[in-house]
Amino acid sequence: MDSVRVDTRRPSPPASRDLIPLKVLVAGGFGAGKTTFVGAVSEIPPLTTEQAMTALSVGVDDTAAVPDKTTTTVAMDFGRITVDEQLILYLFGTPGQSRFWFMWDELARGAVGAVVLVDLRRVDDCFPAIDYFEDRRLPFVIAANAFPGTEVVPDRAVRDALALSEGCPLVRMDARDPRSCMDTLVALVEHALARSLG
Amino acid sequence: MTPHDGGHVDRVVPVYAVTGGRTRAAGQELPLEAVAIATTQAAGSAASLQTESRAIVELCARPKSLAEIGAALRVPVGVARVLVGDLANGGYLEVHLPRTVDGDGGPAPAILGRLLDGLRSR
Repeated sequence: MDSVRVDTRRPSPPASRDLIPLKVLVAGGFGAGKTTFVGAVSEIPPLTTEQAMTALSVGVDDTAAVPDKTTTTVAMDFGRITVDEQLILYLFGTPGQSRFWFMWDELARGAVGAVVLVDLRRVDDCFPAIDYFEDRRLPFVIAANAFPGTEVVPDRAVRDALALSEGCPLVRMDARDPRSCMDTLVALVEHALARSLG
Repeated sequence: MTPHDGGHVDRVVPVYAVTGGRTRAAGQELPLEAVAIATTQAAGSAASLQTESRAIVELCARPKSLAEIGAALRVPVGVARVLVGDLANGGYLEVHLPRTVDGDGGPAPAILGRLLDGLRSR
């Protein structure tokens, strides 16, 4: 969009920056640290957005009087990082429950990539997310969150347990530490950039 | 509006009545991260808008995403999407969409490079 516009019919819009929104998904099983991660790097207190499950009310169009009867609402944590004058990065904690995956399609579209948080004591929980992102060919990094006792598990064992491809970055991190979360985001963007040039 | 209430708007009619029962905006479906900012035109004429719409215009004095607008007004994103779409059509808001490589692709390498620089310098 050109920032210089001449339009005599209307007051001109503010000499606005041409903003570019970006998003990263933060996925993982229940309790893997999604909310903690978003809160650690967000410049605003993490907010919750509610997405109505309108698909459930197909064919029940005359529900205006009782709008909530046929809709389910999914709550999603999100945060924001103003990167520079133009770029604003949003982080969305994705609902972990598999029955909400149709929602992920909207979320995944156009995303930079995903951070898949893993609790190494419960690796099974993250398989659905890994399968989904591989299937969608969305760049992702595995973020092994520092839960007690998990530091002794070698990277090789983690990779084998998750059946990770060699190209997929594995980051050992602590979701409570903003520096560590930022490093994880950097690893994701490096990976996404390499893939986009690939 | 106080920090305490997070921009909550007291509402006397259901949100679906506010949008005329629509949960889809006309035209392009705005993604959650689409960012809206108030135009200068909005500053002079927003007083005539209904409560929710006026709250959105005020909120968007600084850039806000659809997700942030929904959270501040405590309405589902689908409702925020309709209101923002209408306000954009009316010239009150300017909406900035993500720029992706093709329909389903991610951001272009140049944008990813800038994102990387920005995150590394933090």
